[in-house]
Amino acid sequence: MASVRDRVSEAEWQTRVDLAAAYRLIARNGWDDGIFTHNSARVPGAPDQFLINPYGLLFEEITASSLVKVNLDGTLIDADEDADIIDAGFTIHSGVLAARPDVNSVMHTHTTAGMAVSAQKDGLLPLTQKSMRFYNRVAYHDYEGIATDLDERERLAHDLGDKSGIILRNHGLLSAGRSIAEAYGILRTLEHSCAAQIAAQAGGGELTMPSPEVCEHTARQYDDAGTNQKSSVATFAAYKRSLDRVDPSYAE
Amino acid sequence: MTSLSAIEVDSVRGLVSEEEWKVRVDLAACYRLVALNGWDDVIYTHHSARVPGDENHFLINPFGLKFNEITASSLLKLDIDGNKVIESPYERFLQGFVIHSAVHMAHPDAHCVMHTHTPAGTAIAAQKNGLLPISQKALRFYNRIGYHDYEGLADDLGERDRIVAALGSHSALILRTHGLLTTGKSVASAFETMGFLQDACETQLLAQSGGAELITPSEEICEHTAAQYCSDDLTSVEMEWEAHLRMLDRIDPGYRD
Repeated sequence: MASVRDRVSEAEWQTRVDLAAAYRLIARNGWDDGIFTHNSARVPGAPDQFLINPYGLLFEEITASSLVKVNLDGTLIDADEDADIIDAGFTIHSGVLAARPDVNSVMHTHTTAGMAVSAQKDGLLPLTQKSMRFYNRVAYHDYEGIATDLDERERLAHDLGDKSGIILRNHGLLSAGRSIAEAYGILRTLEHSCAAQIAAQAGGGELTMPSPEVCEHTARQYDDAGTNQKSSVATFAAYKRSLDRVDPSYAE
Repeated sequence: MTSLSAIEVDSVRGLVSEEEWKVRVDLAACYRLVALNGWDDVIYTHHSARVPGDENHFLINPFGLKFNEITASSLLKLDIDGNKVIESPYERFLQGFVIHSAVHMAHPDAHCVMHTHTPAGTAIAAQKNGLLPISQKALRFYNRIGYHDYEGLADDLGERDRIVAALGSHSALILRTHGLLTTGKSVASAFETMGFLQDACETQLLAQSGGAELITPSEEICEHTAAQYCSDDLTSVEMEWEAHLRMLDRIDPGYRD
């Protein structure tokens, strides 16, 4: 049988390489959670298909070829007989990708800092420059249980609206980007914002926040800078070079 | 790769059943994973497993080894009274055995018992309200975790009954002022439960940072989620365990010695 690389378009292969790189980066940052949580990317030229992690692999093991292709109805495409994906992952990712044609990649983590902020009633506070990116620009989705109920897709998509970051209450973080590079950049900024918030809150010291005007101004600066994705693309390329130096096997 | 294990112990593989050997490899892997995760406490705390087919014999760490030194062959095999069943140059640690034997004896299906002293676990153990249902991971333990009051260093055999009563039918126990304990039908299962409990404790401490107001799902959602987690299907647990072993094998397969 021909290799995955030979069976897919060049554009799909590049998407696979980038998504596998995102998994490796998440593992290296310690944002992974065993074989659980998931990151996805829409297949170029096939808007009703997306790539996601095969159930059972650690993120440090994932390669471009081992990613599983699935359509928005949950049917695996051109997959090995024993391939499987996580039900909750399918619910979350298909929900966002189906509702948001502009989104091509979705990432989701269970980091302790992300889970901690998700449990705080006031959610993410505008305490740091990074968190300003999400000023009035991050959504919240109330907890419903492990996401195996497909009906949750509509509520998740509704809560996300047109935003690119959502805090899943009592659960974790999710980012949605036009590209893998953008989704990864949003996830990273959100994770750093949460970790900084928890660190700032330690000990109960009084916190300082910029005025609403400055927060909004900063958020718009981020909005404008992100329009052409230039910085997220350049940053992700740099991350991939760093992966290539330590272990290029993600691109296999 | 050079093995990190400088400890030389004669292999016991030829002395034990194939089933026992597999449990020894799993339990040694468990010690290595605990060390990798930073959940170890120098040479203290213990993780034990029942010997398959020999329900009154238990495998436990040899006293004096750090967890990243433990191998399948260096694990001690003890009977219910704490006597060594196979000769070993290493000693047992009574406190550990008191807690572990109590749980094994009371729960025939508790084939593995783990116990840690992580700062996050001990911190939650010191909080009056214990583990709060504020994260998906914590919801797994919603009304499904026991609490055992602190009595001092656990060298009193009488404490066994009180630990068993506190654990009840749960697979997780918070030892007040002391740490965490989980049980499982397999090493993989006890380890997976410990991972959830540890993450839930860490998350709670972070969420409480600075006294921020927390949100808790409704009782119905908490109970629904806990019920979702309560499955007899260990497929995902076994899959994740195999993934952990692959990771250990890439780093240092010496635990298999």
